[in-house]
Amino acid sequence: MEALPLSEPVLLILLSLAERPRHGYSILKNVEEMSGGRVRLSTGTLYGAIGRLLDGRWIERFKEDDSSRGRQAYRLTSQGRLILRQEVSRLKQLTRVASLCMAPKET
Amino acid sequence: MLSFCRYLLYLYPSAHRFEYGEEMVAVLCERQAESWNSGVVARSSFWAREIAGLLHGALQEHARVITGLHPWVAFPLRRFSMRSEFRFPKATGWLMLVILAAVVMVYEKAKAIQASLPNTHPYVGPIQPAQFTLISTFAVVFVAGCVIGAVGWAVLFALRRSGAQRFSELRPSGDRSSGNK
Repeated sequence: MEALPLSEPVLLILLSLAERPRHGYSILKNVEEMSGGRVRLSTGTLYGAIGRLLDGRWIERFKEDDSSRGRQAYRLTSQGRLILRQEVSRLKQLTRVASLCMAPKET
Repeated sequence: MLSFCRYLLYLYPSAHRFEYGEEMVAVLCERQAESWNSGVVARSSFWAREIAGLLHGALQEHARVITGLHPWVAFPLRRFSMRSEFRFPKATGWLMLVILAAVVMVYEKAKAIQASLPNTHPYVGPIQPAQFTLISTFAVVFVAGCVIGAVGWAVLFALRRSGAQRFSELRPSGDRSSGNK
């Protein structure tokens, strides 16, 4: 499975599923909202990513009570959550270093 | 357009289509319903993105089936960073053409000389160790390389463009900002 750092679409998909289980359309909408409309995944891209995430056991299928045909929900696995935490802490560390580097230095 | 996208799903490997095809159609239906409210340009852009995504996804899935690798290994889509200042010099192309022309000319000349000579096969004796010049050739090439390198470094040093000089001229951004104050 893909090592860190995660690509932005994969990171956003995992973040979207971190909140609660979602189905495909809900993931697409949530990713678009989270990125402020900047990242708009196509259906083909989304299901390519979902396939890879399922293969890597980062996400799993989730059976909803009111699930109709064609609306399969997905949720993060514990492994997926762990990798997401690692990626977020990596990003935090990166932004901390960036803030230190870019801060005006006292003379 | 939805029907067209359904047809595009047939480009995917059958296993992928069986597993996700129905979901993908359902998502496409929902997105199509959502796009009805948007303008023509937004709708066209939406369908263009969807079609491109489906084609790209189908290609990736086939690559995965064929190679057994994940698509990002088979088709690494991350852009490689190329130094913006790097340009393949056009002069190199001309130089390569000149070299090619010279090689062709020499080849033709050799053929002409061969044809002009009488068809004799002079005896060629075995190569003696005294005639073996490979090591001395390597030594000459090595010395010549060192001399050329030294001359090049001397030129750069005279122009104050050697690596050590450029490095010593570097100033951290903090120093620059403090210098401005």
